[in-house]
Amino acid sequence: MNKQPLFPERGPAFWLTGLAAAISAGTIGLLFVSLVVESVPVFKSEGVSFLWGTDWFAGEVYGALPMIYGSLMVTGLAVVMVLPFALGSAILTSEFLSGRVRLVVKAAMELLAGVPGILYGLMGIALLAVWVRDLFGLIDGNTLFTAGLLLAVMILPTVMTLAEDALRAVPGETRDTALSQGLTRMETVMQVVVPQALPGLAGAVFLGLGRAMGETIAVMLVIGGIDRIPQPWFDLFASGQNIPSKIGREAAEALGFDLQWSALIALGLVLFVMVMTLTTAGHFLLRKAR
Amino acid sequence: MPLTYPVKAVVIISLVLLAGAVFVTLRPGGGTQVFAEETTVIRVAGSTTVLPIVSRAAERFQARHALVKIIVNAGGSGVGIHGVGTRRFDIGLASREITLKEKHRYASSHLQITVIGRDAVACVVSSEVFHGGVRALSKQQIRDIYLGNITNWRQVGGPDRPIIVIDKEVHRGTRHVFMQYLFGKSNARAPGARLVTGSNNEEQAKIAQSDSAIGMLSIAWINDEVVGIGIRDGERVIQPTLDNVRTGRFPIARNLNLITAGEPQGAVKQFIDYLLSEDGQKRVAESGYIPIQLPHTVSWVAGSHSK
Repeated sequence: MNKQPLFPERGPAFWLTGLAAAISAGTIGLLFVSLVVESVPVFKSEGVSFLWGTDWFAGEVYGALPMIYGSLMVTGLAVVMVLPFALGSAILTSEFLSGRVRLVVKAAMELLAGVPGILYGLMGIALLAVWVRDLFGLIDGNTLFTAGLLLAVMILPTVMTLAEDALRAVPGETRDTALSQGLTRMETVMQVVVPQALPGLAGAVFLGLGRAMGETIAVMLVIGGIDRIPQPWFDLFASGQNIPSKIGREAAEALGFDLQWSALIALGLVLFVMVMTLTTAGHFLLRKAR
Repeated sequence: MPLTYPVKAVVIISLVLLAGAVFVTLRPGGGTQVFAEETTVIRVAGSTTVLPIVSRAAERFQARHALVKIIVNAGGSGVGIHGVGTRRFDIGLASREITLKEKHRYASSHLQITVIGRDAVACVVSSEVFHGGVRALSKQQIRDIYLGNITNWRQVGGPDRPIIVIDKEVHRGTRHVFMQYLFGKSNARAPGARLVTGSNNEEQAKIAQSDSAIGMLSIAWINDEVVGIGIRDGERVIQPTLDNVRTGRFPIARNLNLITAGEPQGAVKQFIDYLLSEDGQKRVAESGYIPIQLPHTVSWVAGSHSK
């Protein structure tokens, strides 16, 4: 054997797995293309004002800004709230826990990451919305803040376990060297391990954000469902709307018809692009870390 | 590498399964699906106001007709009408009439309405507001609340708390009827709203959870936490009671409709006939609505109060 061909072996196994891979890749491609094609009518009719318009009323006008705003706002909030807890517990697990305890914590976190959104939604509407209302003395607990908080809780396990992986990926010798130089455990972690793991940590956060941005049912139940940008715009204790919740509320009625359908698909396209950007960035950073 | 036996087996089995899946999916069907020659499936979806009647009736009907399976789903009146118009459901539930726009859109489906009961939409408030003194509101006051001109309960004789105005998704039957009454336009806007809800359950839960909310709800869904208030008309106050709906005094009444594509046929017709029978009408009453005395099918002269 002197020269390696591109595909070393083209037996049936190659073709079969190749077919599976092609179908998977093709599905994403097809999804993107159909999103673009189906959203053409609304862009034709509304133009750019689809993205910048602040007014959405089915059958009359379609402006997506309140939903885009809501999506960015709740995910932004979620990341701010999740960061200290996720990083803190990741550092604890990776650097300070013994092997067996660490495995238990990891297993628990990974289990938690798989809890369906509807369960968080139910907890959100039954408990969280009421707590937020009473704690902050609001007139109502269905707010952007509540949705962000709920998302933070939801993505905590994902971000924590990925961040922990990133920290573990820093080689043991690095720690040993730092410790042997006379650095304390804390200094080793904060000044040596965390900086080295930074791309991986960022990747973990981005992937968590991707999940938060696409979450539908949990947000739908606590965000308030109103397509409006609060006055003033940074009032997080006002109700709002995000893209998945909007689609969830209107899709069944519009299925396959009219401008409303096209507008919902276009909203989906915007979400798709946002989530893809986050996820790609996340994976890129994670790979760089390894 | 030569093809080994297990790989071959996997390939063959996969291909057979794939072919089977394609065959099953592409098999001609549609409309009422028939499984194993005999079991008929009736797909029902739509208004969460009509839903309790139909679930109760479906349970009884299926007990008597072993070969009929009825699948009931929520979604709202708009979803029910849309689903029948596009032939995804056999029966659509609607707590409002079919709009002109919907009639044009689904002209080829020849939508037919069968009225199975009567209901009313009440203006409801959180019990704390009711006990705080708001027992009735005039049409103008409710209108001002939904427009955002009145924002505190104090302004209408209640406690000093901001009003949480609850709106519903635009296609919902309850909203059509309520907005038609308030503004003379079934798709009027409500700039004063703070929350938007979907199903009756969701709206009921959010009003019960709050101590200062106002909303719109079918009278069958009123309870101790979510209280229906009277409509004040000059000196008169008309309470949202079944009696007042029956006599036509309460102003926000509506029909509860089943929508079919064309005249109902086969098992679908049997089920609708059951709903119109004495036993079926008992399920209407059991669900908190008013049975219609004389079973009759109204072919769609709809739109009497919808645009």
